[in-house]
Amino acid sequence: MNENQAPAASAAEEYYEKNYLPRVNRVGKITGALGVLLSFSPAIVLLAVFKILPPGGAVLTAFVGIASAVGVLWFVEPISYFPVLGVTGTYMAFLSGNISNMRLPCAAVAQDAAGVKPGTAQGAVVSALGMAVSVLINIAVLTVGVLLGSAVLAKLPPVVQETLNYLLPALFGALLAQFGFKNKRQALIMLAFAIVINLLIGRGAFAWLPGAANYLAMLSCVFVSILIARFSYKKRKAAN
Amino acid sequence: MDVNRLMNSVPMWLACGLAVSLIIVQAIIFFRQAYAAGPEVGLTRQQMRVGVRSAAITSIGPSIVILSGMLSLLVSVGGPMAWMRLSLIGSVMFESMAAGIGTSAVGVTLGSDPMTGTAFAMAVWTMILGSIGWVIFSTLSANRMDQVQMKLVRGDAAMLTVISTAAIIGAFSALSSSHLIKLNKNSIACLAGAGIMLLLMNISEKKNIRWLKDWNLTFAILGGMLITLLF
Repeated sequence: MNENQAPAASAAEEYYEKNYLPRVNRVGKITGALGVLLSFSPAIVLLAVFKILPPGGAVLTAFVGIASAVGVLWFVEPISYFPVLGVTGTYMAFLSGNISNMRLPCAAVAQDAAGVKPGTAQGAVVSALGMAVSVLINIAVLTVGVLLGSAVLAKLPPVVQETLNYLLPALFGALLAQFGFKNKRQALIMLAFAIVINLLIGRGAFAWLPGAANYLAMLSCVFVSILIARFSYKKRKAAN
Repeated sequence: MDVNRLMNSVPMWLACGLAVSLIIVQAIIFFRQAYAAGPEVGLTRQQMRVGVRSAAITSIGPSIVILSGMLSLLVSVGGPMAWMRLSLIGSVMFESMAAGIGTSAVGVTLGSDPMTGTAFAMAVWTMILGSIGWVIFSTLSANRMDQVQMKLVRGDAAMLTVISTAAIIGAFSALSSSHLIKLNKNSIACLAGAGIMLLLMNISEKKNIRWLKDWNLTFAILGGMLITLLF
């Protein structure tokens, strides 16, 4: 029995490494490159069809403006989210956007529901399924919304609009509770750490780091959490 | 041509539709690859179905929030761009900021001054140039980050699970705490969502109620939102 099970587990990992990942990397790199090119298509239409090309100096000014606001995030976000999103998830999440409010919750919830562990071949496959579904639903909802137009949607009572503001905080709280449920100590330590970091950021303690308010909390929470968990895992292992 | 008509013209719809269809194609390819790989890595069809269903249920709420954000963007940059930007790379906050920075570089304040053709083009260019950095870096680095992670765990598969689980908890701690420290209604929503979730987890885990597990998150979010309205 044991002899049959051990190769089975490594066969799964081997299939994942040798067959699945290379294909994912190929598709990810091709679609990523196409995504960069195709995102210019509205700008090209403005130029080719409507003969509108904004002045180069103004474009440069605006680019410097937006780059100084979010430029650090181009690098820090993919790194911070990688341990959660994995390879496929990273390709998908950064091309489709809406990471913290949608891709991350869907990937995590799909793994939890399927009963697979994050960081395994099974976990990676299930999170890819979950994220792909969330991308398709996101686009479907937006497409219906844009076709209905603002006229219809603007008629929603203001209380609906107000209620929607509370959806994301409720979602984040619920997800922290869901994933902290089996790791209560870790969740409480990290929540305390996150609150302190956010308060410090709010007080301007990291004002010397450009744009720190946008990424420091996520970056430090993910990696401090990893360090703590890694430390106690090694301690447990040494004790055994 | 009137700017509003330009922003919502057929060529703009086609250009934006092309970009959106790429995202759809990518999602379908990744889905099919993962679905085919599932049995090979030891997943049952049932497990994959349950995962997909939970992700689908979880997607609906945030999609509606994104939709309501699209409405504000739609007023300033028109339907096609708002639709495309929130399907591709973007998030509401980034897009509004980029659009604002772009138009102000030609002296148009977004939302108060009338939009001009050049200002619209500025918004388009700034949204594009400001966002491709994410795609370029993540596309180039995804497999390398995987190799680095593999080196760090040195073949200890259990360590990889420990790391990923810790990363999930860290990420949701960061996201929750940003609302908690505001000490406003968002904090109440966050606490209420967490509280209801803990309650439901206790019930569904202890009694092992399958259907409740699927709906835990939806109930917690809706309950959290409604409780917040009472304050």
